[in-house]
Amino acid sequence: MAARELASRVLGCLAVLAIIAGLGAAFGYAPREAVQGNVQRIMYLHVPAVLTAYLAFALVFVGSVGYLLTRRAGWDRLALAAAEPGVLFTGITIASGSIWGKPTWGTWWTWDARLTSTAVLFLVYVGYLLLRGMVDEPDRRARAAAVVGILGAANMPIVHFSVKWWRALHQPSTILGPEPSPIAAPIAVALLINWIAFTLLFAYLLAARMEIARLEDTHAG
Amino acid sequence: MPDNWGYVFSAYGLAAAALLVYWRRLAGRAKILAGRGAPRRGRGQDR
Amino acid sequence: MSGYARRVWMVVWKDALTERRSKESLNVLVFFSLLLLFVFQFALGPERARVEAALPGLLWLGFILSGLLAFGRTFLVERENDCWEGLVLTPGDKSAIYLGKLAGNVLVMIVVEVVLLALFAVFFAIDFTPVLPGLAAVLSLGTLGLASVGTLFGAVTAQMRARELLFPVLLLPAVVPVLLASVSATQTVLSGLPLADAGAWLKLLAAADLVYLVVGILTFEFVLEG
Repeated sequence: MAARELASRVLGCLAVLAIIAGLGAAFGYAPREAVQGNVQRIMYLHVPAVLTAYLAFALVFVGSVGYLLTRRAGWDRLALAAAEPGVLFTGITIASGSIWGKPTWGTWWTWDARLTSTAVLFLVYVGYLLLRGMVDEPDRRARAAAVVGILGAANMPIVHFSVKWWRALHQPSTILGPEPSPIAAPIAVALLINWIAFTLLFAYLLAARMEIARLEDTHAG
Repeated sequence: MPDNWGYVFSAYGLAAAALLVYWRRLAGRAKILAGRGAPRRGRGQDR
Repeated sequence: MSGYARRVWMVVWKDALTERRSKESLNVLVFFSLLLLFVFQFALGPERARVEAALPGLLWLGFILSGLLAFGRTFLVERENDCWEGLVLTPGDKSAIYLGKLAGNVLVMIVVEVVLLALFAVFFAIDFTPVLPGLAAVLSLGTLGLASVGTLFGAVTAQMRARELLFPVLLLPAVVPVLLASVSATQTVLSGLPLADAGAWLKLLAAADLVYLVVGILTFEFVLEG
């Protein structure tokens, strides 16, 4: 349908523009951070990525509940189309966090609260995608994935707190957290712009993936 | 603290690469589906 | 007894009877606990101090590994005897089946845990008696958490050919909070501290158990549709 394609292209262009703006903000507008130096600029990638991942998995939850209640395939397609970019953004979060950690803390990995929670999230939703990949019958696949997706989402706050407390047992929180505190205005603005850019990019990928899933369902029917 | 631009660029570069690969995969699948047009038989059993 | 409670009880009773007649699962699981003990010892080396230091983690590793085996087989009896349709066609609230299976799994886990504790006591000369009440509290909450997710995912993967692969892959990330909380609380209890010191962890466990139970009860009927 021409309108659908047009909308997709507009969204894509918007996303690209926002990304360019975000990069400009991250490298030009935002100041060189006093304590960490320029390596702190990775945060303009890391923080928006994790926020977008949370959005993605919230949508997986919505799609899962929607399918179980209505049995309309569109909801299941939403869940799938949100999960794939969600896992991607989670991976980006972990990779950027790890790369940030190397010059800052000296190691590629620390079991710090956010990195560990995000890693667990990654494991949950990779499992979700693996499950989807191993069931061919559409209704069975959708129902199974929905249950796992619902539990995964409900588990997110529980994972967050358990990891945070576990972490607090073993190390006092460091001042050099991923977010500087208090947050200076230019840093906040740059974070905001990049967060909008990531959200637009996610929306574009989500719509594209949903459309592909819809076409595949039509052709397979 | 030294500036560690190498780390900054590798982080952004990795992210960009991952997103590009995913986007191209999607675009590829979209192209194949657009080319198909006619409906097909369903696929196989439970693996 | 209300109709719902009676149906839950019937599931437990049926499974208990099946198990008592065939004696397969429980015996093997108990023997598996014994094997785990040896594996842990060989993996950690001869120094007793290392095992003692790792004790809370080892206990829960043992429980989780046994749980992976036990929960994965929750619906094996129905599958192998072509009774799955019987479950699907059950009239009324199917969540009764979930609770019945959950109760059965919890009972199995209690046996496994008691045996594993006894084995640890014997083989590593550890005396659990002073901390038994606190330990029992932690074990109850933790086991409920493992079993509630295990039973649900056991049902989800029951009809899949990739069941043996998918079940652990799905269960382990999901029970990370239970593992973290249970090991921490067990550590507190085993050091002789009062149970109240582990209060925050126990509350987290209780909250997690509640969430998992609610999700299980609400979604189980959707799993059981053919």
